[in-house]
Amino acid sequence: MIGYIAHKEMREMRRDGRFQVAAGIVMTLLVVSVAIGWEQYVTVSRQHEQARAETREQWLTQGKKNPHSAAHYGVYAFKPKSPLSLVDRGADPYTGVAVWLEAHKQNEFKYKPARDANTLARFGDLTASSVMQLLIPLLIILMSFSAFAGEKEQGTLRLLLSMGVAREKLAIGKALGIAGGLGTLLVPAAVMGSAALMLGSEEGAFSANLPRLAWMTASYLLYFAAFIGLSLTVSAMARTGRLALVCLLGFWIFNGLAAPRLMSDVSRTIYRTPSSFAFAREMESELKKEQSEEALKRKVMAQYKVEKMEDLPVNFQGIALQASEEHGNEVYDRLYGQLWDTFEAQNRLQQQGAVVAPLLAMRSVSMGLSGTDFAQFRDFSVAAEQYRRQLIEVLNDDITKAGKQEGPHLGDERLWAKAPPFVYEAPGVGRVLSQQCWSLSLLAVWATSGAALAGWAATRRLRAE
Amino acid sequence: MLQAIGLTKTYGTQTALHPLDLEVKPGEIFCLLGANGAGKTTTINLFLNFIEPSGGRALINGRDVAEYPLETKKEIAYIPEQVSLYRNLTGMENLEYFATLANGRELGRAKLMEYLREVDLPAGAEDRKVSGYSKGMRQKIVIAMAMAKQAKALLLDEPTSGLDPKASNEFSRLIGRLAGQGTAVLMATHDLFRAKEDGSRVGIMRQGKLRQVLNTDEFGHADLERIYLEHMHD
Amino acid sequence: MISTIVKQEWRLLQADRTLGAVVLLMGLLVGYSLYNGSAWVGFQRETLAGAEAEQSKRLAKLKQDLEDFEAGRKEPKGFQDPRSAGAIGGVTAAPHVAMPPAPLATLAIGQSDLYPYYFKLNPRSKQAILANDEIENPTNLLAGRFDLAFVLIYLFPLLILALGYNMVASEREQGTLLLALSQPVTMGQLVAGKVLLRGGLLLGLVVAFTLAGALVTGVDLGSGTVWLRLGLWIAMMTLYAGFWFGLAVLVNSWQSSSATNALTLAGCWLGLVLVAPSVANLLATSLYPVPSRVEMVQAMRRAGKEAQLKGSTLLAKYMEDHPELMPEGEKTQPDFASITYAVQMEVDKQVQPVLDQFDRQVTRQQEFADRFRFISPAILAQSAMNDLAGTSLGRYQHFSRQVDGFFEEWRAYFLPKIFQKTKLKAADLESFPRYSFREEEDAAITGRVGVVLAGMAAFSSVVLMVGFGRIKSARAAG
Repeated sequence: MIGYIAHKEMREMRRDGRFQVAAGIVMTLLVVSVAIGWEQYVTVSRQHEQARAETREQWLTQGKKNPHSAAHYGVYAFKPKSPLSLVDRGADPYTGVAVWLEAHKQNEFKYKPARDANTLARFGDLTASSVMQLLIPLLIILMSFSAFAGEKEQGTLRLLLSMGVAREKLAIGKALGIAGGLGTLLVPAAVMGSAALMLGSEEGAFSANLPRLAWMTASYLLYFAAFIGLSLTVSAMARTGRLALVCLLGFWIFNGLAAPRLMSDVSRTIYRTPSSFAFAREMESELKKEQSEEALKRKVMAQYKVEKMEDLPVNFQGIALQASEEHGNEVYDRLYGQLWDTFEAQNRLQQQGAVVAPLLAMRSVSMGLSGTDFAQFRDFSVAAEQYRRQLIEVLNDDITKAGKQEGPHLGDERLWAKAPPFVYEAPGVGRVLSQQCWSLSLLAVWATSGAALAGWAATRRLRAE
Repeated sequence: MLQAIGLTKTYGTQTALHPLDLEVKPGEIFCLLGANGAGKTTTINLFLNFIEPSGGRALINGRDVAEYPLETKKEIAYIPEQVSLYRNLTGMENLEYFATLANGRELGRAKLMEYLREVDLPAGAEDRKVSGYSKGMRQKIVIAMAMAKQAKALLLDEPTSGLDPKASNEFSRLIGRLAGQGTAVLMATHDLFRAKEDGSRVGIMRQGKLRQVLNTDEFGHADLERIYLEHMHD
Repeated sequence: MISTIVKQEWRLLQADRTLGAVVLLMGLLVGYSLYNGSAWVGFQRETLAGAEAEQSKRLAKLKQDLEDFEAGRKEPKGFQDPRSAGAIGGVTAAPHVAMPPAPLATLAIGQSDLYPYYFKLNPRSKQAILANDEIENPTNLLAGRFDLAFVLIYLFPLLILALGYNMVASEREQGTLLLALSQPVTMGQLVAGKVLLRGGLLLGLVVAFTLAGALVTGVDLGSGTVWLRLGLWIAMMTLYAGFWFGLAVLVNSWQSSSATNALTLAGCWLGLVLVAPSVANLLATSLYPVPSRVEMVQAMRRAGKEAQLKGSTLLAKYMEDHPELMPEGEKTQPDFASITYAVQMEVDKQVQPVLDQFDRQVTRQQEFADRFRFISPAILAQSAMNDLAGTSLGRYQHFSRQVDGFFEEWRAYFLPKIFQKTKLKAADLESFPRYSFREEEDAAITGRVGVVLAGMAAFSSVVLMVGFGRIKSARAAG
């Protein structure tokens, strides 16, 4: 019976010119956005790979020089693009792509792509994720607003119910019909996307990303299910199709346009972001609180049990550099830690905003699984910073151990090679899921309550007259 | 007053109205009888210039409605089958709006009140929302509108369908009174009884053709039904 | 005649409570968005005031120190001589250059959350300075801001469509259309009356709320340029609203049901406001891709590495070219600061072509995008609104040109003194180059906005003309 209803719904949908046009447009946008995303991912990855190799090469061949000037020369770290960024670019356009790792300083990531982009970019990127987060829910609304309301208006509902069809079966049948219609659209797109991912990523990367892809698929399905449930509920309760459509469109606009902006305002008001001026000032004053050179000297002399600086078996300059480095590190950890905790608190609050707008949860999960959210940017920043510290420490150690030899102390390729190349591994799916637990559970709540509401509305609120 | 000269309407290959010749004089009530789809509403829509004629002319007071769409509408009043008014407005507000549109100026509440008394709208009803009105009451508003407009011709589309007998009777009296004052009335109806009672002449239509025109004082009720059914059956 | 229709429509709107809902919604949206805009402007102002205060404190201390050194009250000490041109020009007197929010900045946040609005200059490297950013959570940047421009570009059309999608269709469905048209009025007049009332109402509300909001948030209504901008803003809004009303009329002329109209109009809105800009962006970025910043960084490194390897040679070469800069009475014993600057200047010279190439490509993409503005009134509106609020790329470029100019001035003042190892005196402070922001000329803004207004006018007039043309010939019955 249910299968039969679903079948009839799908047949009706396929014959509906509006559905055909809308589905065609959505499908085209989806395909184009995946193709463009794939192309971008491949190009950018290649550039990053080259740049990574080149920066290492430059480091190794910088010639003989004082290790500290090598530390000032430093290296660059480039944020890698994750394969799934072809689905969701997330916050990528708004985070810098490169950071200079040098002595004394934790630099900010520079060159946000959005700053180089043309002004159209602020209307939003066309990516598979934006199609799935915004346009497909709209398509669902379009397919289902008249599911019950339309039958009421046409008068076919009375006929249908007089046949003795159970209302819950009717509801399930309609939901399945919509899901089926959507499936004819999404399954090919998903297959194509996976193929692109497989072709685009290096060996091993695809299988490593499979769990992420699976979780992403599941969460998008929950999101769509929530919209199907909601649309059917409204359709069953509204007197006319027009009313159902207006209500659903209103919710769609709130969910897709207003809520993300509103929640970002709210989160910014509750957890205030400092201005970069204030941040830099605080950084400056904290960095100045270094212990005096005299105190350090006394400490080092006590450590080596000598009376005079001249008797030190090591080079004090190296120790002093490293001490200042460590003080800086402590300050950076604290201040950047605070700043980034603020951002994460803002983001968490935005995730919780999904109580009223499921898009907020979906966006967060999608970015997280694509590896393009702030948390993973932070993860990379921290890894790059750890690498910087390691690199500088190798150099400072070398200066310290050089003792007091005659003439300037120079490092060479052997020393440069002592610092290993920078290798970054993205966090596993487990960590992402734990960061996204709020969003995932809210999505599940939306989907189940959508289904429950639709069932309730169809059995209790659907009136034939 | 109302005159059709070879008035025709076709939709593609289908003919909704075969060339129609008809004249309704001032003070005369002409009833168009016929089944659904016989061409009654088409005729009325043509007089209102709601649809374009495929041939022939519809004249009101000697002027072609297609040539003078606005001028001719000043002369006529129309009462649709489903008398629909703005549900959220009161009867008075509805009357005010349409009367102002018709006259190009406001008539004032006192004057409109007179018309509403004349059509016997229950006292106090004029300031209630139309959503609570019966069809008969809504019709009365529209008749008041026709009076306010001082229409020389009245076009009625199934006015009595869905009215209870009392309301139906009241309606007939009002129309009769208007005709008595010299208004030409063209009324499409299914109601043989009312057609015989109210009409001066009756036209029987079938499949877009005006088959026969009769004077009502020349036959009785039973005759009319017989003649009508004869036309329907052949 | 039309006035009767307008009056009637007013009554109808009042009667079904649409009016109250629209006024309330409009008030809330405009009020909230202006509050948001003014909070952001307040934040910027506060930051700039803080920077200003910090700078004057720093300069006062520098002056005091220099006087103390000159009078022998204090001894200069430290890694770098505090009297040296390098220390003063690069650190203790390093100036903040700022772009204060424009008078109407509360109306549209635009690109101002993306581009920096102040820099701390030093004579070393312009590139390093310009690459700085304001701190912001990337997720927030992604979401965008709830400012008046957002309300007007995205939500205002929806309100228009909500009031207009069934202008004619609902009367047709209720049956009142027949009655109305059996009176001596034309469909054109009827629809004109409806559009006039709805349009007048919405525009009146938005203009009133905007002006009230502008007053409350402290926009200076006394100056001519503010009125010019407000005038253009209102003209822009009127044309934009005209476009959407025209679209509603056009769709109503197709004689389909209210629900179909709603769907069609929602589709148009979606296409013009959401899809068209992203497709245009996609085209722009695919046809005129911006070269990779990663590659640019690498090019800069290559140039830098070479320059650094021959650091002291470079200085010697530089001194050969500029013998007048040779420190007096000293042998050419290169010091750290001089080498750094010589190297930096060489790097700048080497990198310049790469940067120029990059900028050219960005400009080309922007030009392409600018041409593509004309595919959607929403893009046009955004572009004009940002320009009028002073939060556009155009004003940022105007600012960054000033920064460029001032950087050169600052460098030209300090560089010779650095190479000559001059020790500065307190009196020199007076002769430091001074920066003050020059606002964009009204003519420049009018020029940019004028083009957009013309485009918008074309859009609205075409749609309104076609819409009314069709509705005039639309008939009451089929």
